[in-house]
Amino acid sequence: MIDNGTKENLTTEIKYSSKDFATSQDVRWCPGCGDYAILAAMQRIAPELGIKKEKMVWVSGIGCSSRFPYYMETYGMHSIHGRAPAIATGVKINNPDLSVWVATGDGDLLSIGGNHFIHACRRNIDINILLFNNKIYGLTKGQYSPTSEKGKKTKSTPFGSVDFPFNPLSLSIGAGASFIARALDRDPKHLQSIIKRAAAHKGTSFIEIYQNCNIFNDGAFELYTEKESKADNTIMLEHGKPMVFGKNMDKGIVLDGLTPKIVRIDEGEFSVNDLWVHDEFDKSPARASLLAEFQELEGFPHPVGVIREINKTTYDEEFHAQINNVKKQKGEGDLKKLLFSGNIWTVN
Amino acid sequence: MEQEKISKNEASQNGREARLMKGNEALAEAAIRAGIDAYFGYPITPQSEVLEYFTNEMPKRHGVVLQAESEVAAINMIYGAAGAGGRVMTSSSSPGVSLMQEGISYIASAQLPCLIVNVSRGGPGLGTIQPSQGDYFQAVKGGGHGDYHLAVLAPSSVQEMADFVFDAFRLAEKYRIPAMILADGALGQMMEKVILPEEGSLPKMQKPWATTGKPNSRERNIITSLFIEPEKMEMINLGLQEKYRQMQSEVRFEEFALDDADIALVAFGLSARICQKVVDLAREKGIKAGLLRPITLYPFPKDILSKLAEKVNFMLVVEMNAGQMIEDVALAANGKCPVYFKGRMGGMIPSPEEVLKELESLVEKQSVSQD
Repeated sequence: MIDNGTKENLTTEIKYSSKDFATSQDVRWCPGCGDYAILAAMQRIAPELGIKKEKMVWVSGIGCSSRFPYYMETYGMHSIHGRAPAIATGVKINNPDLSVWVATGDGDLLSIGGNHFIHACRRNIDINILLFNNKIYGLTKGQYSPTSEKGKKTKSTPFGSVDFPFNPLSLSIGAGASFIARALDRDPKHLQSIIKRAAAHKGTSFIEIYQNCNIFNDGAFELYTEKESKADNTIMLEHGKPMVFGKNMDKGIVLDGLTPKIVRIDEGEFSVNDLWVHDEFDKSPARASLLAEFQELEGFPHPVGVIREINKTTYDEEFHAQINNVKKQKGEGDLKKLLFSGNIWTVN
Repeated sequence: MEQEKISKNEASQNGREARLMKGNEALAEAAIRAGIDAYFGYPITPQSEVLEYFTNEMPKRHGVVLQAESEVAAINMIYGAAGAGGRVMTSSSSPGVSLMQEGISYIASAQLPCLIVNVSRGGPGLGTIQPSQGDYFQAVKGGGHGDYHLAVLAPSSVQEMADFVFDAFRLAEKYRIPAMILADGALGQMMEKVILPEEGSLPKMQKPWATTGKPNSRERNIITSLFIEPEKMEMINLGLQEKYRQMQSEVRFEEFALDDADIALVAFGLSARICQKVVDLAREKGIKAGLLRPITLYPFPKDILSKLAEKVNFMLVVEMNAGQMIEDVALAANGKCPVYFKGRMGGMIPSPEEVLKELESLVEKQSVSQD
């Protein structure tokens, strides 16, 4: 019998510390891998999520990031390449009582997993997907991935890749995910706050995390994560705040129709009042899509933070509400009645 | 580059160059020499070197290499490129080959030639990255749905990793079927001397069925595996079965010390190499053992095994799995002699000593007279 769990079942008054979410397993990532920072951020914020440990499930596919379930002291499934969103869907549907989390990478979620990913987003099933994007295949030792930039030289593209990469944010917006954010492995405080928001959100939450693979793609996100260059190359999004960025906070984004433009706000022509004000809850996906596209625009900062959060019923809600409705209309099922109905006869 | 160092001619045999190569690299080099038009693959241990070798070499020589988004995509790209008349191949390791099974069934039904290489590893599931022969059933009994077979070749050396690429394409194109090389992680990773096949020595065939455009001079042809009318579908199946019957003439096997043997070991691929050593060790102890190594796993050398079963006291089948080929061996022996099994699973390789121990205990049990 499926337990029609509510959010209340997930929450707890038990006081955890981050240590309660660490396992006895040796963490087997390369020294210096960005995955450590993501794991630490997750373990640090987990006690604040108010979710009982035994109600939390981590599901993963194949890849370096997919070792995550071994290291979180919760239930876990280390599953099939790219299939984690489908397997997480199965977990959530059968036991809506659980808080379901997917740890995945760009090679896992966006190659063979692309199909499952878009359909999880489309259904708006209440799961949280953390994409560790390092723009490379790490586990198989350095082939290019679906987020590797065009022209990139890797073990499998020695003369440069001729493939266009996926934009994970655009993809998730297009597929209908209801919470979309970006965070950085090198900014754990911010990452924790984003994880907290994702946990609180009902529906498919998607977080793209820039994660450094120091062995096979070192420095892929250096511009966006290092002190010297971060301010000029990222824009830290805040709801209701104008889009200001730069080392001296002297640059901003204006919207000219549907065209974003970088302007200076210290030269008189534009002031902070002219800038695009970020609205996380904008019902239209138009502006979120523009934000997601910044990474394709020459010289534009990469937005970091919550790109979009919308309210939408979730598949698990709708599905169980439908069962309850049908039961209300037709009454509880009666197996005996069903067996003895229709075209039956007695054999003497 | 490391590549350059190892590719330096080490020796020469009949004017053909010898190189020290990994099995995966020898396979890829042979494929380029076989004139393949395209390779589609996806990284997976322990066969990623095949993809990487192609990506390094093909742009400098000939052929197209594409890293697909998955093995599912790769096999479907094969379907398309083979349908367009190309000499094409893909490679993967066990979990990836499982993903390809749908495509392989369709390709078999649509009757297109291509080569699929399985550098297999221990399963089931994600399993291990260590070598295994656990995919025998999948390779020789079809693997996907429906009544079909692949031509399956099982190399046991780096040399054969190279040679069998040519043989596999010959079979695939002659019979218009998908062919498979069933290797394992050890053969893919080990380095041995290899005499490479000559470039251009595999002639290209006319493929009048290929989708190469339709001028008025050509019949229209639709490549499909859908035949709704059962009468038509049965005809297609009868045609496939007729091919498989004709293919029985392609059976290949290797005999080792079988002339005077009263015990026969039967093993393929890497296990056969181990069994050669077992035969030597057994003979040192006065046990007259020999080895039969099936080279084609499909078609299976059942006739020779049937004859062998009349001659020997018993057979011992050695595999790196739970006992798969033994079913075909037992079918061929048909009760004419006992057929025993020794195997290791999950990426474990049986040592010659442990196989010998098994052999000795069987000899004792059978009270085979030793002189």
